[in-house]
Amino acid sequence: MERTHRLELFPDRSVTLLLFQHVKNAAALRKKAMEGSVDGALINPAMIVDTFQILVAANKAVHLQKIGKMKTRTLYAEIIFSLSPSNNISDAFKKFGISDSDTAVLIVLVVDGDKTVNLADITSQVEGQQVSLDELPQLTDTAKVKKMYKVTPQEEKIGTLLDSVVCRMSTKDVL
Amino acid sequence: GPVGLATGELGAAGPAVDGPEGGAGAGMVAEEPPAPPALPGLRLVQQGAEAHVYRGLFLGRAAVAKLRVPKRYRHPALEERLSRRRMAQEARSLLRCRRAGIPAPAVYFVDYVTNSIYLEDIVDSITVQDHIYSVQKSGNDTSDLHKLAEKMGELLARMHDEDIIHGDLTTANLLLRPPTEKLDLVLIDFGLSFISGLPEDKGVDLYVLEKAFISTHPDTEMMFQALLKTYAASSKKSGPVIKKLDEVRLRGRKRSMIG
Repeated sequence: MERTHRLELFPDRSVTLLLFQHVKNAAALRKKAMEGSVDGALINPAMIVDTFQILVAANKAVHLQKIGKMKTRTLYAEIIFSLSPSNNISDAFKKFGISDSDTAVLIVLVVDGDKTVNLADITSQVEGQQVSLDELPQLTDTAKVKKMYKVTPQEEKIGTLLDSVVCRMSTKDVL
Repeated sequence: GPVGLATGELGAAGPAVDGPEGGAGAGMVAEEPPAPPALPGLRLVQQGAEAHVYRGLFLGRAAVAKLRVPKRYRHPALEERLSRRRMAQEARSLLRCRRAGIPAPAVYFVDYVTNSIYLEDIVDSITVQDHIYSVQKSGNDTSDLHKLAEKMGELLARMHDEDIIHGDLTTANLLLRPPTEKLDLVLIDFGLSFISGLPEDKGVDLYVLEKAFISTHPDTEMMFQALLKTYAASSKKSGPVIKKLDEVRLRGRKRSMIG
């Protein structure tokens, strides 16, 4: 159900993605995340087009953490920040983090390579149903994503929405 | 960029990644090649003067990894700055192209520490260079290449209208997506690119391509003419650009008027 990917460039880290629907305690989860008592990044799945988007964010966050150049204070905060096309941290949390009324939550965990992920820890905290990541496309709000990332109509002709999104994520600090 | 060895460069003749340190050759400094990235399915694609290019799977997707070759004859501070700037220019130009609907690879990851960039791999594509070779070889000439030239002209016109100067236009830096017959072009290798509205810069960009055509592909004068014609028709700002191109042709290189 969940998916794990070992980062090729940082083989000591693995990224695990979990998707939950019919979540009843988003408000409590968000509070816990703000307090820092959740060992994972809680993301609004409506803003996610594909798991690749998350992996790109996680890869960048781990890279920045390793060279001590994160813009936020924790790896999980950095992952959320890396998803955002803007350089405004609180805006990133607002748009990509979960809000109290959300009923679907995507959780990202990053663990040291060989350690097995303790899924029970995190799944027990969510009052909802874990579903396969294959369900993600149904939860994506394409219009919202296009608006958020300011995808141009010309751009849509030459590539997928995912291409546009990932391009902006990876080049936002270059510009 | 150039395939294989650039002139005057010492180094491995084959695809060996561990280049010889301090090899034979009077006074030449061997460049330390970058260590290949640990991507699954890794293949060395090109060992250019500026960068080593690899293909492999990155985060589950077919990607191209470009690792800059550090030039040890340069002062380290300059080298760092130059490397950084080239990387930034490439990333910026790629994004700018895409936003304007000009086909170019998507950027997946920019690593300033190792000066590498991970891009979308246009899988099963062939370079326009290879396509021209194969068409000329099979003798099916004119009409195929004419249409291709027109598409190239149109694409370059759109790129220049966005004030994007490629900086290294060659037929090896233009890809054709499969199936080739669709003439679906993709521009690559923006490492030497920059932003400019000056007709001179655009003229030089075209001149570089013209020289590349002449030197790489015999009997393609008509083709390039068709390219220019379409360029002129497609670009709103082409007049001054073509004028500058003519001027640059006259200036040229190795055209000294000193007796």
